[in-house]
Amino acid sequence: MSPFLRTLFVIARRDFLSIVATPTFLLFLLAPLFMIGMGALGGVGASQLADSARGAGRLVVIADPGDMEALRDADDRLRDALPGDRPAALELRIAAANTDPVAVAQEKGRDTYAVMSGSLAAPRIVEREAGSRSGRYLALLATEVLRSRAAGTIAPAAPRFESLTRGGTSIAAQQSIGFGAVFVIFLLTLLLAGQSVGMLAEEKGNKVIEILAAAVPLESVFLGKLLGLLGVAILFIAFWTAMAVGGGLIAMTQIDPAAMAQAGAAAGASAPPAVLAVAPATGWPFFIGMSFLYFVMAFLLLGAVFLGVGAQASTVREIQMLSLPITIFQVAMFSLSTAAANAPGSGLATIAQIIPFSSPLAMAARAATDDAKAVHLLALGWQAIWVALVVYLSVRLFRSGVLSGRSDWRFWKRSAGAG
Amino acid sequence: MSELSVEAKGLTKYFGAFKAVDHVSLEVPTGSIYGVLGPNGAGKTTSLRMMLGIVDPDSGESRLLGGHAPQSVRHRVGYLPEERGLYPGMKAREAIAFMGALRGLDWAEGRRRAATFMTELGLERVIDEKIRKMSKGMAQMVQLIGSIVHAPDLIVLDEPFSGLDPVNQERLETLVRREQTRGATILFSTHVMAHAERLCDRIAIIARSARRFEGTVDAARALLPMQVRYTPRTDDDGLAALLPAGAERRGDAWQFPIQDDAVEPLLARITASGHGVAGLSIVRPALHDAFVHIVRQVDAGFDADAHADAIEEFAA
Repeated sequence: MSPFLRTLFVIARRDFLSIVATPTFLLFLLAPLFMIGMGALGGVGASQLADSARGAGRLVVIADPGDMEALRDADDRLRDALPGDRPAALELRIAAANTDPVAVAQEKGRDTYAVMSGSLAAPRIVEREAGSRSGRYLALLATEVLRSRAAGTIAPAAPRFESLTRGGTSIAAQQSIGFGAVFVIFLLTLLLAGQSVGMLAEEKGNKVIEILAAAVPLESVFLGKLLGLLGVAILFIAFWTAMAVGGGLIAMTQIDPAAMAQAGAAAGASAPPAVLAVAPATGWPFFIGMSFLYFVMAFLLLGAVFLGVGAQASTVREIQMLSLPITIFQVAMFSLSTAAANAPGSGLATIAQIIPFSSPLAMAARAATDDAKAVHLLALGWQAIWVALVVYLSVRLFRSGVLSGRSDWRFWKRSAGAG
Repeated sequence: MSELSVEAKGLTKYFGAFKAVDHVSLEVPTGSIYGVLGPNGAGKTTSLRMMLGIVDPDSGESRLLGGHAPQSVRHRVGYLPEERGLYPGMKAREAIAFMGALRGLDWAEGRRRAATFMTELGLERVIDEKIRKMSKGMAQMVQLIGSIVHAPDLIVLDEPFSGLDPVNQERLETLVRREQTRGATILFSTHVMAHAERLCDRIAIIARSARRFEGTVDAARALLPMQVRYTPRTDDDGLAALLPAGAERRGDAWQFPIQDDAVEPLLARITASGHGVAGLSIVRPALHDAFVHIVRQVDAGFDADAHADAIEEFAA
């Protein structure tokens, strides 16, 4: 191993251990649990709300006693045939002389979405929201009653449904996968790479930087620190991936095999699970591998920028102030990559793939929609060059500024003063 | 002169408009103990940092260990910075091994040597103690061990004695001598003259950003005339005429500076005068005085009369 690499690993090892071997790291590692917990709580609350609200909704038809049976039959037929969410429960009332549909619609205790009254040929429909689905449904119901009266009972069609199991994933689904990759990589870099902004503050605070600078090239200090943090990030991701896989396996053992077999029979013997039917253009193994590599690149690129910027800061307050522009920068790169993921092949996408800081995100999205593979090698090389360039520039700036003992961070003033 | 471990030529550094170091040149012979002396803020630390390639000089260049660029021989150099720093969460043994590993030493070997060194220096109690639990002096000794654990050929120590109690200062001196015996070259800066006087083969004095003296300790002391303290048995008005101009009476004794070639004539005059000799000492001024003399000369631009205060009386 070359001396440069060896010192790089010495620094990385120290940083990795100093982060991992602390109680704080456990908190950091388990932090997503809080997120999941809060999310679960919120989800349960929201679904309970939805449940209680669902029971309360209704549609009301005020009709003559003679129409009641026909309306009920028509509602049964239509309700089953409609795709998507079912309409709210139908309540039938016998028309009286003084029944006011508006008053019925405003009755307390239940949500009334629409009220139909008058003759079926020319009904009056009072709805809560103009153009609502409930109002259209009631109109459809009236028409159905009229039609069945006119034509008699017709046997419903007996369709045979077939689903496309092979033949490629839709472009929209692939774009969703691309967006998912962009989002996950962004979230992980936001959570993990942002820490690098304060990493050199420790060395500057306890003066170890002088020992490091005397003993090894600063490039290996910077790269070593990035590598150490990357190790922490990968540990974090590996831990949660293992948790997810483990959780999935446990869930599978909990499912009754008989129910599984039944579900399989219902779906057709050779039908693969729905999730696997959706695949990125380059295939799952390549896509996942690439996404990981692009995460590493995004991490190194953004981490190098933050490390370089943070190295210029001399106090904790300055570091805190710096974290806002840094987060905005990250979000800007995320927005650009998202736009690129939603418009594959466009000029915007190409720009996002070339700009080095959005390139990892945009290229991960591209792996989902475009089956070309060689271009990823090019992109990784391009990003690696930029990692090296950012580290080199950070080191130059650090050497000429901070290490020379100058407190003034305005490097253009420094060079003017020295001349 | 034998091979040079440090060869710095015309090192110059500006901090803004301030010239922190002005054409400082140093040549440190291999195997020697070399002191860089100077008052606070004279530019010692910046000179050392440029010499080691931590800071780039605005002009001038530095070569180490026989003409190598400082960056290319890092693993053969040990450096104790002026601003002490260790990771507070690390154990002493690990901290030393870490510093050794930075310079290319194997971790396991570093840990082993750390224990050996610490035991020798009376720190065996705290080998596995975290740095943050140690006293400042202990941490400094740990850092010192860390900077020499890889058995470097050149050891550079910036103010190594400051912050140490006398016992640890003594241990440090022993350590420095032992490293020299091993074959290392030691370059250290200080503003405490006693250490330099005891340890150094050669010294350089830096004041007001520039080098003002280079040579052996004796040569520095020879910059000032020897000091005579003479106590006659019988004193009268005639005695003052026998002594050189500028002789001052302090109690029973007379004190005055004397040039090297004026010693024998003076002794002859005293003997012949019959005033007798109750006490007589002729001593070189200490390095301290030479140092103060040089710095004052630089500061004020005039020759200051040195005052010898280290006088050894010997019976006549």
